[in-house]
Amino acid sequence: MGRNSAIKAFDPANKTGIPLDLFSGRDTRRPVIVELLRSPWIVRGSQVASGSSGHGGKRREEEVEVSWDGTRRTPESFRMHGKRYSVDALVQTWALERAWWDPRARLSRRCFRVLARGGLYDLAYDRITDRWLLVGIVD
Amino acid sequence: MHLHVHSRFSFMDGAADLDALIARAVEFGMPALALTDHQGLYGALRFYRKALKAGIRPIIGVEVVLETAGLPGEEGDLPPEERLHLPATVGFGRAAGRGFHLTLLVKDMNGYRNLCGLLSRAHVQSRDEPSVVSLVDLGRHSEGLIGLSGCSNGEAGAAVLAGLGWRAEEALRRISRCFASGDFYVELMHTLTPESPSYVSGLMAIAERLRLPVVATNNVHYVERREFRLHDVLAAAGTHTELPGPYERQNAELWLKPAGEMRRLFADIPQACDATLEITERCNLDLGLGAFHFPGAEVAVGETPYSTLAKAAWQGLERRYRPVTPASVARLQHELSVIQDLGFSEYFLVVKDIVDFARSRGIRYSGRGSAGDSIVTYLLGITDADPIRHDLLFERFLNPKRCQMPDIDVDFDSRRRDEVIAYIYRRFGNEHVAMVATVQKMSARSAVRTVARAFDLPIAEVNALSRHLPWVSAHRLREVLDTYPECASHPLKNTARYGLLTELAGELSGCPMHLGTHLGGFIITREPIATWMPLQWAAKGVVVSQYDKDDIEMLGLAKMDILGLRMHSAISDTVTLARARVGADAVPEPFDLTPDDPAVYELIASADTVGMFQLESSGQRNLAMRLKERTFEDIIAAISLFRPGPLEAEMITPFIRRRHGIEPVTVPHPAMGEILRDSYGVILYQEQVLRVAQAIAGFSLAEADSLRRAMTKGRSREEMEKIHGHFVTRAVGLGVPRAAAEEAFRQLEGFAAYGFCKAHAACFAVVSYASAWLKRYYPAEFAASLLNNEPMGFYTPRLVVNDARRHGIGILPPHVNASRGTYTVEDDGRSIRVGFRDVHEMTHRLLGVIEREQDVRPFRDLADFLRRTRAEANAAESLIRVGALDGLGSTDAGRPSTRDELLALLPEMKAVIAREGVAGDDVLVLAPAKAREPEDPTHVSGWSRARRLSAELEIVGLSLECHPLALARADLERRGVTWARDLPRLGDRTRVRVAGVRERAQTPRTRSGKRTCFLTLEDPTGLLDVVVFENALNRAGETIVKHRAYIIDGVLQNNHERGIAIIADRIEPYVVRTAGGAHVRMRRGVPSGPMGPSLGGAGAPEEESWAAAEAALAGAPTGYDG
Repeated sequence: MGRNSAIKAFDPANKTGIPLDLFSGRDTRRPVIVELLRSPWIVRGSQVASGSSGHGGKRREEEVEVSWDGTRRTPESFRMHGKRYSVDALVQTWALERAWWDPRARLSRRCFRVLARGGLYDLAYDRITDRWLLVGIVD
Repeated sequence: MHLHVHSRFSFMDGAADLDALIARAVEFGMPALALTDHQGLYGALRFYRKALKAGIRPIIGVEVVLETAGLPGEEGDLPPEERLHLPATVGFGRAAGRGFHLTLLVKDMNGYRNLCGLLSRAHVQSRDEPSVVSLVDLGRHSEGLIGLSGCSNGEAGAAVLAGLGWRAEEALRRISRCFASGDFYVELMHTLTPESPSYVSGLMAIAERLRLPVVATNNVHYVERREFRLHDVLAAAGTHTELPGPYERQNAELWLKPAGEMRRLFADIPQACDATLEITERCNLDLGLGAFHFPGAEVAVGETPYSTLAKAAWQGLERRYRPVTPASVARLQHELSVIQDLGFSEYFLVVKDIVDFARSRGIRYSGRGSAGDSIVTYLLGITDADPIRHDLLFERFLNPKRCQMPDIDVDFDSRRRDEVIAYIYRRFGNEHVAMVATVQKMSARSAVRTVARAFDLPIAEVNALSRHLPWVSAHRLREVLDTYPECASHPLKNTARYGLLTELAGELSGCPMHLGTHLGGFIITREPIATWMPLQWAAKGVVVSQYDKDDIEMLGLAKMDILGLRMHSAISDTVTLARARVGADAVPEPFDLTPDDPAVYELIASADTVGMFQLESSGQRNLAMRLKERTFEDIIAAISLFRPGPLEAEMITPFIRRRHGIEPVTVPHPAMGEILRDSYGVILYQEQVLRVAQAIAGFSLAEADSLRRAMTKGRSREEMEKIHGHFVTRAVGLGVPRAAAEEAFRQLEGFAAYGFCKAHAACFAVVSYASAWLKRYYPAEFAASLLNNEPMGFYTPRLVVNDARRHGIGILPPHVNASRGTYTVEDDGRSIRVGFRDVHEMTHRLLGVIEREQDVRPFRDLADFLRRTRAEANAAESLIRVGALDGLGSTDAGRPSTRDELLALLPEMKAVIAREGVAGDDVLVLAPAKAREPEDPTHVSGWSRARRLSAELEIVGLSLECHPLALARADLERRGVTWARDLPRLGDRTRVRVAGVRERAQTPRTRSGKRTCFLTLEDPTGLLDVVVFENALNRAGETIVKHRAYIIDGVLQNNHERGIAIIADRIEPYVVRTAGGAHVRMRRGVPSGPMGPSLGGAGAPEEESWAAAEAALAGAPTGYDG
């Protein structure tokens, strides 16, 4: 059985139903969440509210401390308000490079949308200032 | 492997340099790389050759615009919200708005020919319609091609991004049907944007439904990430928008990523990356380079191309050689056998066909280049220099040991070149002829303009930044700004404001901008040309190949240069004018003259060469003073000596010293003495290198030519050592003393790379002698013809007019009752009447009307002129101001109206004529206009001399009455100025002060790397050559650029070795004023007349002044200079 085996094993013909043990624990639940978050046909409420930019949700921008996993090339954990958030899964990554010709407006970032402690966080490494930022907490 | 790659040949939509692309692919260990530029194969052959050399497999491809496939109807039938976002125009032009991108890759030769045909059809089928590939054409030409669905500007990609999955599916279904099964892939690009995951998964889902394979690409537009800025700049400039440009890219991820990076992006879809390998395996194009493909020549039944060529050559022998000599017979037999062995007969016949046509129509032409080394071309009438008499060697032209495409270039009368071109199309068929393209690349100026436009700087600022840069490569921009004195106060030196602009402009060095048309290169093929290369319309309105001349040569196709030479037109015009004056029999055909007239050589030797073909430049005039040409061989030597190679090898000085007996002629071996007799022991000609190698080391001429080439091109130390050993061993074997052999080789090594092709010089010398003869015997006709064919030659029309005046020819001003469109000769060859062709604001219409009305009756006055010609106000004003209506009409004072009175009357008269129409009385009486008092009552114009001269310079670009400095003669003499004509009488190293108006300023590269400026000035008595060495240039660079007239202090150089020149140490600007203090404006208003631009009379157009640019920037009116 592959990923999401619990969902795939569901038999609608079975009138008596099956026990609700789709997710035996955190580890079995995470792939489903990630799959759903990555699914192109699922639109999150925050995206609907903020148009199609894809960076909706609560917009925040504050410096955070990130520990980097060089092997997997993803953030391993980050620390915010004194609390450590271990990254459970990398949902998406993208890059931004804007207004390079204007020193006041220039933006050069590598962004990581991660799942941590049950929430979805957008971390960004700012290439210009050489620091990590939390740029969004999305629903 | 990357299968979707744009280079700089995507014209303003790619920043990847081909060499850098290939080097990076090799570094990443990629076995193959594709090149898929927009709409064409512009860079494909260079890429093919370079990639093979680097050891990777080249995959040739293209990204085309395909018509809409996913809709049953038109895009416009859909409601606006369902329409797709159309691709940007950059790289595609108008086609961008008519379809979507599709990537095509060539599998084999069949696919290559199909792709050429498909592109040609899309581009050439209609000049008015954009170049869009139809599905029908794609289906017909898809054999041998692999299709990829394209980037996010492909129809499927754009539909997925727009959430129109149904349309993407339909488009993919229909496009895939155009290809053989398995030859169409859905292209997946993960460009690290927030939308990328949904884009990839959306396309993936459709591909699975349609059972189409997928392939991963990255839409590469630059080699390294840091180059994304160049791409943005190019795309913005290419679409005439400011940054961020048409794509509004979110990031900088379109770089050539290594395999690991691509695998990581497509970790969930490994088959997409695997497919790149699979496609690479299927693409095995072999272009079969190295073979020759000649156009078909017409031969009679029962004849072969060789027999036809041989017969024509033998007939030519009888005609050209009387009596026929054994040497000529032997030479012809040898050349014909080589031509037959190499299979080049057809090529010669094609060239003969074209020149035969020109001859039959009386179109003047002359062959040039190494083709002059062949007796066959001489006998066929292609060239005019006798190869036996001038000791020209066939092996320099065609070396049987190196099977290389022959190249015969022919210059035709530029005015009638179109007739020749029309004949070529008629004779070989439109489908078999195309013009060769050139790739226009960015210089420093254009690079600065490109970046400045992308930065959205105001146009005045863009002009100010770019116009005053020297013509250098963009990568030298920073160095030029830092070191060139004329850039001392250039605005680009403001690094705080323009640092980024300068940096980016430097990186754009040599970037292709667009496809141009070669001046005269034609490709003629036996098969339809579209099976060899893609064709397209050029801006000029002709069909051009997408390949340049090097690409054509690589493909082994026949190329001919049908060049236009204005000197041929001028010579023909001179002969016509002279024959009209003195009778047809009195003027022989100049090309048929025996070149032995002492009077002609006297003219050349006195450096009185303005207008003479190849002999008129300041360097040549200086050389003439030292060389003192006496024979035709001397003309050949002069043309050869003043060339970059001989100049760099500093051959002139030993040549002149030995000629005048200042130093002895020494050669290492007596055999060389005979070979180098004409050049006094200096190895000046490439042909002499062959002869020396033959005489000293016993090389055959073919071997000797190979030796010469080896010595010339990219010679490494090891190679030279090998050649050296071989040469000396063979020479010693023939009994030549080792020391002599060593010295002979040393000299060959030193000069082989710098020698000039004697055949080329000899072909030119025929034209040079003809022009010199015409200048000697028909100076007025010759000068008028030069002026009628401007722009041509080294000098401006102003100088040609001044030169004619110095030869005693009267210059008559333009006049509505005497001038025609062109310059004409009057007073039995003693005067030239200025024509209207260069008059500012003159139109073709008005010119025609004036000529027609002159034939009816003379113009009586301004009203008569305006009524009969309906002259436009601006043109009429120009004519009045330049004096073309002087002396017409009569005022109450019983004298003709002054120019001021005519100008005052003009608006009212125009208004009355406009009201009255053409009907009615042709006498118009208006009250005399109020005008200021005449400045000079003695002159019919009422204007002062300074004002007349300023108007002449401004309106026709000529100083008709006198040289501008002649007005300031008294002032200049008071300042101790020496005139040009007096310089030869002064001794060497005399300190002098001269004054002159700038005619030319050149700063060629010198061996030492130091900058030296060669200024050609003109004063009322002649030309002055001034040398400004680096120290003086650093002080005076800005003065030279900003002003046109100078007073120069320096030391006179006047000796046999160096000729006459002034070594400047102080240059001051000079303001030309008359004795009365009136200022003479030295610059022309606009450098063009109805016949097109004549290179601006008093010199450069207005914007060449820094003051003008600065004034424009500040919105202030332009001031005077000089």
